[in-house]
Amino acid sequence: MKNFKLHAIVLGLIVIAEMIGVHTFKVGVGTIVLLPMLFALLLGVLTTPKFLKISGKAEMLDASSLLGLTLMLLMARYGTLVGPTLPKIIAASPALLLQEFGNLGTIFIGIPIAVFLGLKREAIGAAHSVAREPNVALIGERYGLDSSEGRGVMGVYIAGTVFGTIFFGLMASVAASTLPFHPYALAMAAGVGSASMMTAAVGSLCAMFPEMAEQLAAFGAASNMLSGLDGLYMSIWLALPMAEWLYKKCYKIKYGEEPKKEEA
Amino acid sequence: MSIKDTLYVLFIVCFMSLVSNILGTKATILESIPGLLILTVIALAGILMAKYLPGNIPSVAYVVTLGCILTYPAVPGSAIISAYVAKVGFVSLCTPLLAYAGVAIGKDLDDFAKSGWRIVVVACVVFIGTYIGSAIIAQAILKSLGQI
Repeated sequence: MKNFKLHAIVLGLIVIAEMIGVHTFKVGVGTIVLLPMLFALLLGVLTTPKFLKISGKAEMLDASSLLGLTLMLLMARYGTLVGPTLPKIIAASPALLLQEFGNLGTIFIGIPIAVFLGLKREAIGAAHSVAREPNVALIGERYGLDSSEGRGVMGVYIAGTVFGTIFFGLMASVAASTLPFHPYALAMAAGVGSASMMTAAVGSLCAMFPEMAEQLAAFGAASNMLSGLDGLYMSIWLALPMAEWLYKKCYKIKYGEEPKKEEA
Repeated sequence: MSIKDTLYVLFIVCFMSLVSNILGTKATILESIPGLLILTVIALAGILMAKYLPGNIPSVAYVVTLGCILTYPAVPGSAIISAYVAKVGFVSLCTPLLAYAGVAIGKDLDDFAKSGWRIVVVACVVFIGTYIGSAIIAQAILKSLGQI
């Protein structure tokens, strides 16, 4: 807790990471985004005994015991981002509200595939949601970010931060040109709780259907605000229990037995 | 964790976030401090509520909900709070967090190496699942409402 070496190391990491700054690369329809947080993470790993040996065992253990708390400031900011949008959310149509349950779709595809690939408890962190900040905080609080579940959610979070916009940009255009969905439905679906992912997906759709651009942007933004609000509550009371349940079922199918205690 | 320890860690994180906010956004020290202090108080209140209120609701939920209520336009003082916290960049709050995470991950590197590529595959599946799942429901609802 009062590990000054750890805090000094982290301070150094923050300064270097922020100095490196934000780097973006245009790739086709989307952008690869490298934020200071990613550099802080990589440099942090580099300080550990396997590499530069700046942080030792005590620092690693103390850092993981602090992780849950470090998330709380971010979550407070998150709440203050959602608050001002509440009047618009309340005014949104019931169609948008119901559509939120589609975000649970990830569990039914994600958990079986994760278990099939050989992941254990990582599957629950990785596939219970689209893994944005509130989901990371929730997993951090429930299981600890240094647990298997924590590794899962952090992995998907980082992947989403780096490749999310390019992935959603591509996915929206592929879905619009090959699947029988109306562009409105695809725009609504783009609101998964990440402004950058939503913007990328809606951007692709607007380029393909410029005559609907205004309506598409409105659907995307409204649905994204809603996901930002209900994503956390849905994860607590619906997505996580469902993911736990499905994990046990899939585990039994793959390994022919109930998950062992440390894997349950 | 005792309340004293919680406070101690929150203030350290607050200080680290101050550094990343000054370097990462255009805000100055004086502009950043009020917003960060407000966020620290919200975080502390949420943590205490989770500790003492019944229902076993995670503190994340209390913290987010408190932040939401305090900035809801009809709540007195919300405009001031919104203006102060607006000086604190969301992305720069992530930098200290991931710096600690990086150091912490060091002890589980082997596990990460083992499951890393699988998690990336699952990430792609998760994005597709969320998107197509939402699109199916949106399509059905819009159709039943006659909007498409």
